[in-house]
Amino acid sequence: MRRALVLLLAAIAPAALAFTEAEQRAIAAHGPWPPAFVPDPSNRASGRPEAIELGERLFFERRLSANGEHSCSRCHLPERNWTDGEARALGLERVERNTPSLNNVRLQRWFGWDGAHDSLWAQSIRPLLDARELGMSAAQVAALVRADADLSCRYRRVFGSVPAVDEELLVGVGKALAAFQETLVSGRTAFDEFRDALVKGDAAGIAAYPQAAKRGLGIFAGKGSCNVCHLGPAFTNGEFHDTGIPFFIEKGRVDPGRHAGIQKLRASPFNLLGLYNDDAKRSTATGTRHVRLEHRNFGEFRTPSLRNLALSAPYMHNGRLASLRDVVNHYSTISPDRLHADGEAILRPLQLSERGTLDLVAFLETLSDGGGRYARKRFAMDCR
Amino acid sequence: MKRGLWLVLLAPAAQACELPGGPAEKLQSAAHTILYRAAPAVRVGEHFALELAVCPTPDGLRVDAWMPEHRHGMNYRPSLKALGGGRYRAEGLLFHMPGRWEFMFELRAGGATERFAHAVRVE
Repeated sequence: MRRALVLLLAAIAPAALAFTEAEQRAIAAHGPWPPAFVPDPSNRASGRPEAIELGERLFFERRLSANGEHSCSRCHLPERNWTDGEARALGLERVERNTPSLNNVRLQRWFGWDGAHDSLWAQSIRPLLDARELGMSAAQVAALVRADADLSCRYRRVFGSVPAVDEELLVGVGKALAAFQETLVSGRTAFDEFRDALVKGDAAGIAAYPQAAKRGLGIFAGKGSCNVCHLGPAFTNGEFHDTGIPFFIEKGRVDPGRHAGIQKLRASPFNLLGLYNDDAKRSTATGTRHVRLEHRNFGEFRTPSLRNLALSAPYMHNGRLASLRDVVNHYSTISPDRLHADGEAILRPLQLSERGTLDLVAFLETLSDGGGRYARKRFAMDCR
Repeated sequence: MKRGLWLVLLAPAAQACELPGGPAEKLQSAAHTILYRAAPAVRVGEHFALELAVCPTPDGLRVDAWMPEHRHGMNYRPSLKALGGGRYRAEGLLFHMPGRWEFMFELRAGGATERFAHAVRVE
């Protein structure tokens, strides 16, 4: 038995030895995938099939825009990894930020590039009311649901009744939209197969992962320390950093990022400290209650997940970088002097060789599932 | 002799500093003892609280943490609740990166401020 164990370890040693013990623990921490579903206590519709069904219809509902032509899917296209391929999103008008993918969105602590919302349902209300995105008002959203027999029937199935107060009804719409988006989870990837093989000591599984990706992972979890911020199964710490991407929008206008995001969060009637949180104990509001506003938050943006990264170009909060190679080059040559970080010392130029750059890109490409997991539906109007 | 007597009298008070509920980290100076434990255990990216006992009870206490190598603190400001008898609970802490963090405890007593630091490594 001992001889068999020694032979097994000898067989996997050459591949596994490429990583230190600490790196192997760090790699194991990027899984397992997919994570188990945990309902959102702040949303009583979370995980309920009738809410998911209502939310899916609302997500593709064009009447939820001021011109009757746009819906959430205007920018979050299922065929494009729930983003749009644009540098900066185009709703009723062009906005300043890149459309983030909705895959795995339920795993976030903060929502939006600036974290101005603390729940997926509050974040789902924001573009509805933004004059440059869908341009609706609470009254218009409420009027649509009340007037449409199918929507109002489905709303009642989820929440018991259609509220007389517009804002209350709007929150229900946000919670149904969130219930649908919680179902959007990216699939298993070549990296997940490798990670599981490494954990199990499966030599064949370890060997099947491309050598270039292994070298790139070595940079990611070793010299590059990329996993200091891109950690865990979703490859994000869910927090905010200045990564040296200019935040000037145009002459005289800047995007303050997290600094304004915290102030918007505190002012929002939909935050988790407010009356629409369904979690009576407010255990979900710990982050909102304690979040700290500091000068260094200026120009910070949320660390994005790296899952399905290859399917979500262009990159960064303003879509400034077109390709994964551009992103790696950015971190390879970043100047710490240009960071607006009040003495924070996290980022240093990776100074990668051409081969190191290609290896890191090869690793990042193995974090994608290939896409195509969602099929659009024709919705029957049969709720009475 | 009078100095020796004071030390003997103080000794039982120092020994009495306790934090019921399990093992705790202990920090000590000539004037104060701090016992603390994280609840739940510290995990990167998850909120946790600290249970504390400070002996003798100070006039004021502040709790925070930072990453010395990265030169940044937490993105959250802990709230502190005094439970009486030198016991406290600090809530809302979150370490958003793996690596070496340092808890900082600042005590105010008798017009003086005393600072304690204790390093922990999280993965």
